[in-house]
Amino acid sequence: MDGALKLWIVIVVVGALNYLSRLSFIAFFASREMPPLLARALKFVPAAMLTALVLPMVLSPSAAGALAGINPRVPAAIVAAIVAYFTHSTLKTLAVGMTTLWLLQALAG
Amino acid sequence: MRHLFASKDFREGFVEMLPACVGLIPFGLVCGVGAQAAGADWLAALGMATIIFSGAAQVLAVQLYAAGAPTAVIILTCFVLGLRFLMYSAAMAPYVKPLPASWQRTLAFLLTDQAFAASVRRFNAKDDPRGGGLHFLGCGAALWLMWIATNMTGFFAGNAIPASWSLDFAVPLCFIALVAPLYRSVPAVMAGLMAAIAVVVLAALPMKLALIAAGLIGIVAGTLVDLARERWTAR
Repeated sequence: MDGALKLWIVIVVVGALNYLSRLSFIAFFASREMPPLLARALKFVPAAMLTALVLPMVLSPSAAGALAGINPRVPAAIVAAIVAYFTHSTLKTLAVGMTTLWLLQALAG
Repeated sequence: MRHLFASKDFREGFVEMLPACVGLIPFGLVCGVGAQAAGADWLAALGMATIIFSGAAQVLAVQLYAAGAPTAVIILTCFVLGLRFLMYSAAMAPYVKPLPASWQRTLAFLLTDQAFAASVRRFNAKDDPRGGGLHFLGCGAALWLMWIATNMTGFFAGNAIPASWSLDFAVPLCFIALVAPLYRSVPAVMAGLMAAIAVVVLAALPMKLALIAAGLIGIVAGTLVDLARERWTAR
C-alpha cells in the first residue's frame, strides 16, 4: 500500500476512534453508569501502555548493550524518571534528562 | 467564532489555559519532529495534530508506521491507548448533561486531561452549565491551536537540529514525565512492571504486536492486583 495513503487511513480511523471514546459517556451512554470492572481497568491504561511505549525507545539501539551498561540513555532515563516522579514537570524532566545524556555522551566520547 | 470570543466565559477559559500551553510546547515539538523523522509530509503532520489531537497516540502511530507495522495493528494499538478517554468522558458527562447535543459533540472533541481538570473546577464553582461549557470551549480551543502550532514548528524546524544533540531522546523523556508520577500505588507499579517485562520478552512478536500485547498484560496485571488488594484490606 502507498505509504501516504496508509498514514492517512491511520489518521482518520484513529482520530475517529479517539473522538468516539471521548464522546462515549457524554452522548451514547449518558444515562448509564460505567461498569465497575471497566472503570477499574481503565485506571491502568496510561501506566501500562506508556511504559510499554517508552521502554523500547530507551533501550534502543541495542538492548544487549543497554543491559551491559553501555547505552547512556538508560541511566539518563532513570534520572529523568526520578525527577518526573517528584516534580510532575515535563520541562524539568526534559532538562535533567537531556543534560544527563549529553554529559554521559561527552564522558564516553 | 467571533461571537465565541465575545463571550467572557470563553475568553476566561482561553486565558486560563495559556500556562498549560507553555508546558505543551516541548511535547508538541517532539510530535512534529517524530512525524518528520517517520517520513510523513507536512499535510499528514498537520492532519495528525488536528484530527488525532493526542500526543501519545500520534507518537505511537508514527513509531509503528516507521517500523512497518500493518495498518490494522497501528489502529488497534492506538485504540487501546485511547481507551483512557472513556474515563474522562464518564467523568465529564454529568457536567455537560444540561447542554444541547451540538455543544456536547464539540466539547467531546476537545476533551483532554488539561481542559478537563480546569473545567471541572469551573463547573463546580458556579451553577452555570452554559458558562461552564463556554469556559471549556475556551480551554479546549487554546490547547488545540497551541498543539497544532507546536507540532508544525517541530515538523519544519526538526531538520535544522544536528543529530549529535540526540533530540530524539526528548520523545521518551516527554512520556517519562507523564508516566513516572503514575507509579504511586502498588497496582499501578505492577501494571507498569508487567508491561515493561512483556514488551522486552515479546519484542520478537511479528507485526509489532509486542506493544499492544504488553499494554494489555499490564492493564490486566494492574486490575488483578487492585482487586486482590481491595479484598485483602476489606478483610
